[in-house]
Amino acid sequence: MSRLRLRGLTKTFGATTVVDGVDLTLEEGEFVSLLGPSGCGKTTTLRMIAGFVAPTAGSIEMDGQELSSPAGVVPPERRRMSMIFQSYAIWPNMTVAENVAFGLKLRKLPADELRQRVREILGIVQMGHLAERYPAELSGGQQQRVALARAIVVKPSVLLLDEPLSNLDANLREEMRFEIRRLHDEFRFTTVYVTHDQAEAMATSDRIAVMHAGRIEQLDVPHLLYTRPRTRFVAGFIGRTNLLQARLEGGEVGFTGFAFNAAQIGIAAEGAPRDVLFSVRPQGMCLHNVPPADASQRPMLAADVIGRTYLGECWDYMVAPRGSALQLRVAAPPLQVHDVGESVWLEFDPRQMALVG
Amino acid sequence: MIEPATLIWVALIVVLLFLVAGPMLKLLAVSFERLGSGTFTFNNYLQAYGRARYLEALGNSLVLGVASSALAVLFAVPMAWAVSRTDMPGKALVWFVVMGAFVVPPYLGAIGWILLAGPNSGVINTVWHWISGTDSALVNIYSFPGLAFVIALHSFPLIFIFVKSALDLVSSEMEDAANILGAGTAAATRKITLPLVWPSILGGIILVFLETVALFGTPAIIGIPARINVVTTQLWQFFEYPVRVEVAAAYAMPLLLITMALIGSQKLMLARKGYVSQTGKGGERRPIRLGAWRWALFGWCGLVGALAVAMPLLVLLQASFAKAWGRGLSFDNLTLNNYTFLIFRHEMALISIWNTLWYSAAAATLAVLIALLVAYIVNRRLVPFGGVLSFLAMAPFVIPGIVMAIGFYAAYAAPPVALYGTAAILILAFTARFLPIAFASSTAALRAVHPEMEEAARILGSGRLRTIAQITAPLVRKSLIGGWLIVFIVASRELSAAIFLVGPKTRTMAVLLYDLSEAGNFEQLAAFGGILLTITMVLVGIGMKLAGRDFMLRRM
Amino acid sequence: MTKITKRQLFTGAAGFAIGGTAMRQAAAQALPPHEAELYAAAKREGELTWYSGQLSAESSEAVGAAFTRQYPGVKVNVVRSTSQVAFQRLSQDVRAGVAQCDVFSSTDISHSTFLKREGMYMQYRPKNIDGVLEAVRNLDPDDYFHISYLGLYLMAYNTAKVPAADAPKSWKDAIDGKWKNQVAIGHPGYSGAIGTLCVLLRKLYGWDYFKTLERSRPQIGRSSQDPVTMLNAGERTVGLGVPIGTTLYSMSRGNPIELIYPTDGTLLVPSPSGIPKNAPHPNAAKLFMEFAAAPGFSKAAGEFFNLPLRSDVPSPAGSRPIDQIKLVQPTTEEIETGVPEIKELWRDTFGV
Repeated sequence: MSRLRLRGLTKTFGATTVVDGVDLTLEEGEFVSLLGPSGCGKTTTLRMIAGFVAPTAGSIEMDGQELSSPAGVVPPERRRMSMIFQSYAIWPNMTVAENVAFGLKLRKLPADELRQRVREILGIVQMGHLAERYPAELSGGQQQRVALARAIVVKPSVLLLDEPLSNLDANLREEMRFEIRRLHDEFRFTTVYVTHDQAEAMATSDRIAVMHAGRIEQLDVPHLLYTRPRTRFVAGFIGRTNLLQARLEGGEVGFTGFAFNAAQIGIAAEGAPRDVLFSVRPQGMCLHNVPPADASQRPMLAADVIGRTYLGECWDYMVAPRGSALQLRVAAPPLQVHDVGESVWLEFDPRQMALVG
Repeated sequence: MIEPATLIWVALIVVLLFLVAGPMLKLLAVSFERLGSGTFTFNNYLQAYGRARYLEALGNSLVLGVASSALAVLFAVPMAWAVSRTDMPGKALVWFVVMGAFVVPPYLGAIGWILLAGPNSGVINTVWHWISGTDSALVNIYSFPGLAFVIALHSFPLIFIFVKSALDLVSSEMEDAANILGAGTAAATRKITLPLVWPSILGGIILVFLETVALFGTPAIIGIPARINVVTTQLWQFFEYPVRVEVAAAYAMPLLLITMALIGSQKLMLARKGYVSQTGKGGERRPIRLGAWRWALFGWCGLVGALAVAMPLLVLLQASFAKAWGRGLSFDNLTLNNYTFLIFRHEMALISIWNTLWYSAAAATLAVLIALLVAYIVNRRLVPFGGVLSFLAMAPFVIPGIVMAIGFYAAYAAPPVALYGTAAILILAFTARFLPIAFASSTAALRAVHPEMEEAARILGSGRLRTIAQITAPLVRKSLIGGWLIVFIVASRELSAAIFLVGPKTRTMAVLLYDLSEAGNFEQLAAFGGILLTITMVLVGIGMKLAGRDFMLRRM
Repeated sequence: MTKITKRQLFTGAAGFAIGGTAMRQAAAQALPPHEAELYAAAKREGELTWYSGQLSAESSEAVGAAFTRQYPGVKVNVVRSTSQVAFQRLSQDVRAGVAQCDVFSSTDISHSTFLKREGMYMQYRPKNIDGVLEAVRNLDPDDYFHISYLGLYLMAYNTAKVPAADAPKSWKDAIDGKWKNQVAIGHPGYSGAIGTLCVLLRKLYGWDYFKTLERSRPQIGRSSQDPVTMLNAGERTVGLGVPIGTTLYSMSRGNPIELIYPTDGTLLVPSPSGIPKNAPHPNAAKLFMEFAAAPGFSKAAGEFFNLPLRSDVPSPAGSRPIDQIKLVQPTTEEIETGVPEIKELWRDTFGV
């Protein structure tokens, strides 16, 4: 039996539909991220799972029991879940230990066991030495660890995280990503993680649900989202990409101002002529000063460098294929230098040309 | 060359020393002076505390302060919570209740409650006699609980304002976090929300306690018939012939010590918990859905409103048009005489209205001006040791008004300053007493104006003064008008600070009302109170137009 | 200082019928020379401040207004309070070294004897004093202060709540246990007259009188007039030490109260006024003292049922003829030593 199941979950506020028929199933111990830009409905979905928001339509089940439906909602305090909030919501009037013990006290644990578990969990999040501190005396990262400890110490049926890292600076954010994943690997709580940061989602999740305008656009394991985006939105949202419109007709793929042989880029050419969309990552192309020996075998174009940015890890070139109005972003290693205005050969890697949709 | 800012700084230090430090230091000095000779003595303290009755008055005041603050918390906190965090209906009504209770001077409320809960003839007891068929009193205002109750009814707005603004800052996520861990609404409110605003509740309690201990009118009007002597009525007795300022000063010192102890213990209690920095951060605020309970809360707010505003004002209105208030509503009991007496046959009544208006206006203007300068200098860090300025400007906050008035009498009544009986001493005392209100609102207003807005003007070639006039002033104007009006309103009804400083021609409405109250002529008192309230209401109306509907309810 | 005898008052009352009309006509004519001279000087001063602890607020204002009507251009700042508070204000003025008071009136005669003794009063004998009742004429033989108010303090009860037959007949009756929670009285720490009443009752019955009174939980106001309001409203049913003027005035307005002339004596409080030596408007003050002895004052105060100081002004309607009242009065010396003791005893007994 699945741990958590959302069926046609919908939320409207007045005339606006914020969440629109979301279906999602989490197996026990699974870590799923809801990823999307602000306003996509991911936080509302999370709050419906938590029980703070009642759905307009659809339902939420946990272990086969219905928690939410338009007919009624089990209040948050009876769902045995826990949640980590964007603001951490660490209670400043309580010490670290008191914060962590709060949920356990409500579960009426014997005092000994309570102390034991608080000590344990604080050790796990490396906060054991700060147990008697007040939150105001902690750094942002330490507060985050307290929030984590407070949420997992109760052994929740589902752990919910609402943009938990968005208030941290970049380095700390990276550190905490791995911390969250480490804790998940250790405890295997069923987890729903809301974020707008794809790197976060990728680092932590078993599966990612990319949300847009209230719907799940694609639910997949992280690397497939990147390499095989199924919608234009997912392709554009996950990493940088070049989206190329093309027409597939008579064994040829016609782009704007140039064309490739379908077989050359590994596309099945049968069927009626149709419009297709390719997503080509900047890393999916490379630049040459002179065409390689077997140039004719590969998808390759003459192009001009029209702009460039040095990013340290790589060059980010803006390249215009000759005779085309397209402008493509191409990544090149730091030592591969081309001047603006230089003529180059632009080569596509067929394996990295993803057919979208 | 000396910087102009330094000159202003020096001038402000002098003004603040005169207004705040002078009276207090003089009071301290006088408490060790022998009456007449002025030589050093501890005798005043022996006299002040040498009688059981005097100690009992001090004890009564402390108990009264605790009781009133406790009652005020009971009135205010559910209201503040309901308005700030729930979907209770009729929040606008609560706003009127709080506003009304704040605007009605406490001594007027006391008179209203005498009319309501006089044991034999009070309206409530009359109704009770009729229902129960007995002639025993249901409620007796002339009692210790009655006194504490009436004081609380007019001081709870302070706690309401404090707690509501604090609750407004608590992110809903704080409650959500408790909910998801298994705490229902009641448990989350009890264990998380209320503890989070505890500093504000505590601050409000301290303020109500100080106000209660310093209150003169209500204890004189209710306490004497109820035979309860308190610190203020005892201080008044030390001014009977021979005027023993020295003993009064000695008697007042423990009040200051208690105040300091309160503030100190508050600091200690809150020391490690960075409440404010935490609660303000992030997160939206959503009203809690209460279901049927919202009507229960609404009922509570309505009840407090009835007790604090509607009922006393109604009986006062009736009394002001009555020949004898106890004879009820009947045609032959109707008269306009109470009003015509005050308006046409009482020379001093009109003068006192005029005095009240212009003293309060002058005090409000002075206070806002000084406060704005101090706040600007401190906020923009124009001088070193700006903290001294803000400390002096905030100090009167914790000095009971009546103690400050005695300090003013001791320091400035007699030559060489010789301000006794002049308008100046009242205006200065009001200015000093309410400076913290003006300072807090000025500071808040200036904080909202980012220094970069001024810097943007200056880099374009505008001098500092021009910048203040054209950029800063317009931006803070609304807040300043709000602050000015609050000072005006509280000054216009101030009794404790005025009672020792007035002369024959400088009596204010509050003092005249007190004089009239001696003879217990509640009908005339009610009429005069009605006039005072009408004037205040007009001003509040103007304030709402100029400074926004909630200008009095913002946290200062 | 002489004690007013009842005989002296009778003589005055008898003289009333003859003098009335003639004096009234005189008042309408040009001012007598001594007044005209003072008036001219007073007009230059323009105003005077009167610390009034004797008449009620309403009658004080009426007297002030009558004075200005008679002497246009001289305004009266009426500062009405209880006598002890008026004296407190004067003391505060003295302590602050500021002169604000031109005429000081209280119902506690010891204030005036004290101010005279300390040299703080100005000697002045109003010419008009010759027209007042003989008994009232020479309170202070040295002319530092003069009677401006004849206070009669007695008892009253609410007729709607107490049948006439049950009402107490004497001061002594009023402390009976059956009046528990029924009695109202002023405060000797505020009211000069109540201070005098306490001195009298202590003399008659000892301080035990008040200890017994305390047990029946009287309601304590500040002014001696406070009980009248309490009776009007029915809050209390028996008032002790109420001034006859305020009570009669209240009865005239239809309130259900009735006077009680105590069988053990109605308290007579001859209450003086004087001019502080440093009065900022001495001529206006002198003119006011003349006025206080003239018919205008007694008539204006009489509107509010206060007893006239002159035989040519009628006694207020509704009061028992003065020759039928048993009057009692402590001596000035008893008041001087008694009131400070009383205040302390009172506060120890009643707590406030």
